[in-house]
Amino acid sequence: MAAGEPISIQVRDVHKEFRRFEALHGITLDFDPGLMHGIIGPEGSGKTTLLRILLGLMRPAQGRILYFEGGRPASFDVLRPHIAYMPQAQSLYPDLSIEEHLAFFRDLYGIQPRAYAEKRAELLSVSRLAPFVDRPAGQLSGGMYKKLGLMCALLRSPRVIVLDEPTTGVDPISRRELWELLYRLLDQGILVLVTTAYLDEAERCSKVHLIESGSVIASGEPRALLDDQKARSFDELFLRRAAGSASE
Amino acid sequence: MSFSWIRVGAVARKEWYHVRRDPFTMAVGLALPLIMVVIYGVAIDFIIKDVSLAVSDSDHSQASRRLIDTFVSSNYFRGRSVPNPASAMTAVVSGDAKAALIIPPTFERDLLAGRSGQAQILLDGCDNSTVTPVLSYLDTIEAIASSKLAGATNDLPYDLRVRYLFNPELNSRWFTIPGLIVVIMAILAVFLTALTVAREWENGSMELLLSTPVHPIEIIIGKAVPYAGMGAIAIAFVYIVARFAFGVPFAGHLWVFALGCALFLVTYQAQGLLISIATRNQAVAMQVAMISGMVPSNLLSGFVFPIASMPRFFWYFTMLLPARWFMTIARFSFLEGSNFSQLGVSFLALGLSCAVMTALAVRAFKRTLE
Repeated sequence: MAAGEPISIQVRDVHKEFRRFEALHGITLDFDPGLMHGIIGPEGSGKTTLLRILLGLMRPAQGRILYFEGGRPASFDVLRPHIAYMPQAQSLYPDLSIEEHLAFFRDLYGIQPRAYAEKRAELLSVSRLAPFVDRPAGQLSGGMYKKLGLMCALLRSPRVIVLDEPTTGVDPISRRELWELLYRLLDQGILVLVTTAYLDEAERCSKVHLIESGSVIASGEPRALLDDQKARSFDELFLRRAAGSASE
Repeated sequence: MSFSWIRVGAVARKEWYHVRRDPFTMAVGLALPLIMVVIYGVAIDFIIKDVSLAVSDSDHSQASRRLIDTFVSSNYFRGRSVPNPASAMTAVVSGDAKAALIIPPTFERDLLAGRSGQAQILLDGCDNSTVTPVLSYLDTIEAIASSKLAGATNDLPYDLRVRYLFNPELNSRWFTIPGLIVVIMAILAVFLTALTVAREWENGSMELLLSTPVHPIEIIIGKAVPYAGMGAIAIAFVYIVARFAFGVPFAGHLWVFALGCALFLVTYQAQGLLISIATRNQAVAMQVAMISGMVPSNLLSGFVFPIASMPRFFWYFTMLLPARWFMTIARFSFLEGSNFSQLGVSFLALGLSCAVMTALAVRAFKRTLE
């Protein structure tokens, strides 16, 4: 169990525009703790923008984000240290080794030496990156690179972890390993928020939120949602919608 | 969230890894001061010596020989006899000589008769870089020659002696090398820091960094520290070379000079960071750093061209440049000796630009991606 009370997030009627392009229009979602929330949608549907707004990296043009700690309203600034983020873009330093990355984030998060030693050993063991601690990030494979990003995010034992397309550009075996790492977090009561453009991954989540062109088109438990939409898979659901909008 | 030196240290250490592993940064940081010192200290001499002088002496008198002797013994000229005024002219036109001295046959006779003796100097007007210093020598040589020739006629009207204070031999390196510290620091501080924040934006790491508890001011200080260290090493290097290789005296207080260095370094680092934060792009940041940092510190700080002779607009404009004020502090500290009462205005102006530039950089650093 992650230290501290569980965090939940409510998104209320959030709009965002870039110049004259409306990226998000009127998103309303609930992210409950202890669950893996998948934000699913095609490229350019507004997934990354929504995450950046949740993380305070962008301001919504309209609408609000409400944060709760143990069911009570809390300010983002208070919760910020407990929310970890792994951006979609390559965001690590190619010349810094795995060890140097971990030490850098240790100091940024203010982790005590003993807690760090334990966490480091645990993360290196589950990620199986221990033999590569001295290798610079620029020389890691796609899967190893993503695992390092995840390790840096998990180092501070967050209560919320936000992952933007963690499995994009990763081979199938590493993808499965990454998902296994994420499942371990659920056991610790962490709110996991993950976006993916791989629709087959949607079924791995506890709850999915389907986003298309900046709007939520459906939200719920994956199986129930598919039954509701009378589709066998998320692939089929999105393909049908794409065909429907093309024929309009 | 409260300020944390541990986070500053983390950013500084990470930045130091980048510096150490990037050959370009190391080259700019270490090789540049060395190259600049060699170019300005060894290759370039603003005092022109051994100007080739074609001498046509049609008088062949004691007075004419004294006049020629005054030119040659000044060390500024290397004399060569030519048979007549026409060949003196040819020597200058053909480029064999930079200047010619033509003494008419009546030179001594005029002097003895109490009239002023006349001699002619021809200068190659195309070569402006030689003409200007030579003209300045002529005043001195004329004065010396007048006194010598007056002595020859047993009449000593006056004895004019020029004594150059603080730099008795008018050694241009004494003047150039302290100024070089300003130019080197301007390049190091603006140029290298201008790239740091832009690099984080370009490789996407800023997004991750901003999602951590690190505060913008901690990023700014952490990023500035390694480059400040490199700047300090460069200053120490130029100081040692100036003192011991070129024999430049240091008349001022070391701590006053160090304070000036620190203020200037922080100001220019803040300027570099401001550029980096505003452009978010290394290529653009490099261009802006060149134009706003290196060019003014080279051309408008008084390093090469005297501020006093600039057009009024530029004269006022230089007041906005920290390099101008630090140039004064550096040169005073080396050559004249300095205390706060002499350098008060410079320190005030430099301190003010330091505060303004730092405030601008901190203000510009936003905690969002927008």
